[in-house]
Amino acid sequence: MDITLTGPKILFEIPVLGGIPITETVVVGWLVLAVISALCVWLGRGLTLTNLSRKQVIAEWIVETVENFVRNNMGGPKFDGYIPLVFALFSTSLISNLVSLTGLRSPTADLSTEAAWAAVVFLLITRQKIKTNGFGGYLKGYTQPIALLTPFNVLSEIATPISMACRHFGNILSGYVIGTLIYAALAVASAALFGLLPGLLGDLLSQIPLLNFGIPAITSLYFDWFSGFMQAFIFCMLTTMYIGNAAQE
Amino acid sequence: MFQQLVGIAPWTVIFTLCNLALTMFIFKRFLWEPVQEIVSKRKDLAEAQLTEAAEAKAEALAMKSEYEESMAKAKEAADEIVARAQKTATARSEEILHEAQAQAAELRQKAEKDIALERKKAVNEIKDEIGTIAVEIASKVVEREINAKDHEALIDEFIENVGEAS
Repeated sequence: MDITLTGPKILFEIPVLGGIPITETVVVGWLVLAVISALCVWLGRGLTLTNLSRKQVIAEWIVETVENFVRNNMGGPKFDGYIPLVFALFSTSLISNLVSLTGLRSPTADLSTEAAWAAVVFLLITRQKIKTNGFGGYLKGYTQPIALLTPFNVLSEIATPISMACRHFGNILSGYVIGTLIYAALAVASAALFGLLPGLLGDLLSQIPLLNFGIPAITSLYFDWFSGFMQAFIFCMLTTMYIGNAAQE
Repeated sequence: MFQQLVGIAPWTVIFTLCNLALTMFIFKRFLWEPVQEIVSKRKDLAEAQLTEAAEAKAEALAMKSEYEESMAKAKEAADEIVARAQKTATARSEEILHEAQAQAAELRQKAEKDIALERKKAVNEIKDEIGTIAVEIASKVVEREINAKDHEALIDEFIENVGEAS
């Protein structure tokens, strides 16, 4: 039995600029974008002052939760401009992680996705640092506490986005790898188990991976649901905390 | 055709960035801003209602104090009226009493005067009669006519004596 673990499949290429590959990641990413957009538009419509509908309560709860999350982690309402970013990161990450439940390939199981997010966060951290201390102060920050440590400071600065991206990607990829392995292993086990049955019945049943019904759901509880929520949460937590720290003198 | 399992594809990064920006815009435009607007509106409404309630309360308190004041005024006026009436009544009753007393005194005086007059009259009548009788008796006694006028002084003396004796 061969198991192949591949990257995202290239569905087609747009033949401009030397070929733009449209991968599974991109297409599912659009799907996730569409789902989130639809949710936002649906939730944000028909808001009323009194007699709140259940939908409006949910909409207000989501907004309030994101607002409180950003304000508590970054320090006050002066960081309200980051609220859309944190919402976009959390919702996209969460839906992308959970999309694997439908059998589609998670966009977050592609390092490109997390790399893009981490690059944005890195730029914002740097921008915030320059805004707080000035460009000179930002550069000087690398020589603290002594000039000798400058290479290490640069290293740790670059390590921030890399670690953020790799943490998220590694968790989701491991879920994907383990999921694939479990499916394959259970198919083999199923064939072996039902092959023990005599005659035609055994031949027939061993062709169907019966053990794949139900058992992978238990592992998916951790790798998809728990890990999905946790990684989305951790990524947003780190984003707010790093930018919040950068704003402190 | 597959991409690498672990690798960064530049175009995927670009697409992801676009998606992220779009998600941010859509959240901001269609969910965050409407919710913020409605929440701040509701806050304003609640504050307006609270202010309104406070105003109504102040108004009610003002009305209450006004009412109490007017009630106190009315009571004062009533008290004054009652006091004045009492005073008038007292004065009037005293006046009536005085008048009655004066009247009674007058009546008594008049009655006394009348009595004195009547008595004098009666005394005079009796005096005359006695005079006449005395003259008659004397004429009979002396069997000659006595001039009444001549002996008037005598008679008067006699009557005085009678008056003193009676």
